[in-house]
Amino acid sequence: MDEDVLTTLKILIIGESGVGKSSLLLRFTDDTFDPELAATIGVDFKVKTISVDGNKAKLAIWDTAGQERFRTLTPSYYRGAQGVILVYDVTRRETFLKLDNWLNELETYCTRNDIVKMLVGNKIDKENREVDRNEGLKFARKHSMLFIEASAKTCDGVQCAFEELVEKIIQTPGLWESENQNRGVKLSNKEEGYGGPGCGGYCSVL
Amino acid sequence: MAAPGAGMEALVCARGRNRKAVLCQRCGSRVLQPGAATLARRQLFLPSMKKKTALAESGSPDGDVLQDHWLVDDMFSFENIGFTKDVGNIKFLICADCEIGPIGWHCLDDKKSFYVALDRVSHE
Repeated sequence: MDEDVLTTLKILIIGESGVGKSSLLLRFTDDTFDPELAATIGVDFKVKTISVDGNKAKLAIWDTAGQERFRTLTPSYYRGAQGVILVYDVTRRETFLKLDNWLNELETYCTRNDIVKMLVGNKIDKENREVDRNEGLKFARKHSMLFIEASAKTCDGVQCAFEELVEKIIQTPGLWESENQNRGVKLSNKEEGYGGPGCGGYCSVL
Repeated sequence: MAAPGAGMEALVCARGRNRKAVLCQRCGSRVLQPGAATLARRQLFLPSMKKKTALAESGSPDGDVLQDHWLVDDMFSFENIGFTKDVGNIKFLICADCEIGPIGWHCLDDKKSFYVALDRVSHE
């Protein structure tokens, strides 16, 4: 692995079926190519590299890809995760109302209590909105989550969301330092200076 | 693909590593940094990227037997990569950003080998 990579992190994407979890990870392209293979076999997970404050972090990103239909994901899915992105569809209120269930499940299976959470209200490009922005923001504040609204056409916003999430994780050294000692990644002289004010845990990114 | 020769020299350094960055042919997503992988020659079958395949079922999907690959031993050596669900004991590698693929191959029996076919990516 590169010398300049600060850490590797496990990130989960959860939420009800059809809220657009997988699309958060896709680059928007104009052509009509249909990723046939990915659609047929299904995507298991992705590795993505992200730069935050001059530090590179490598993310292993898992989305539930249909398993949520069986309601309870296996505990191994949650094990070791440092960050979670909780997604709802702003045009379907029931997906917003189910967020409490997802938080309960997260609390039950997550192996750490300082996991960093981000709430994403998706599909804001659609007209029939049922959940307004303030409701999302209020819910995020109540549960100490970061918050953004997004759509398939606002990839930049989604990119910001990932960066913000990673920044928050990096500011919580207990979440990732021990993992990296095992991997032999040099932390160089970066141990200090993460205590800055940063995000209070409930700010709006966009 | 032709045997290693003039064409390959531009891509492979003296130590057998990739001189250039490895990118997705379709969306340009960065798959490997220069020098991150070594050239490995091994005959691997990859289903076609363009045609509809019947991979989920049995049968013989369209595809190519490819010989020249970039090899890494750790999935975190990749800048960006996607893994499909298991097909037998194989996971195919796809572009993390646009999901075109397969661009590579990983066998669950060998946790330290991840192959990306030179023919399925671009170099810059």
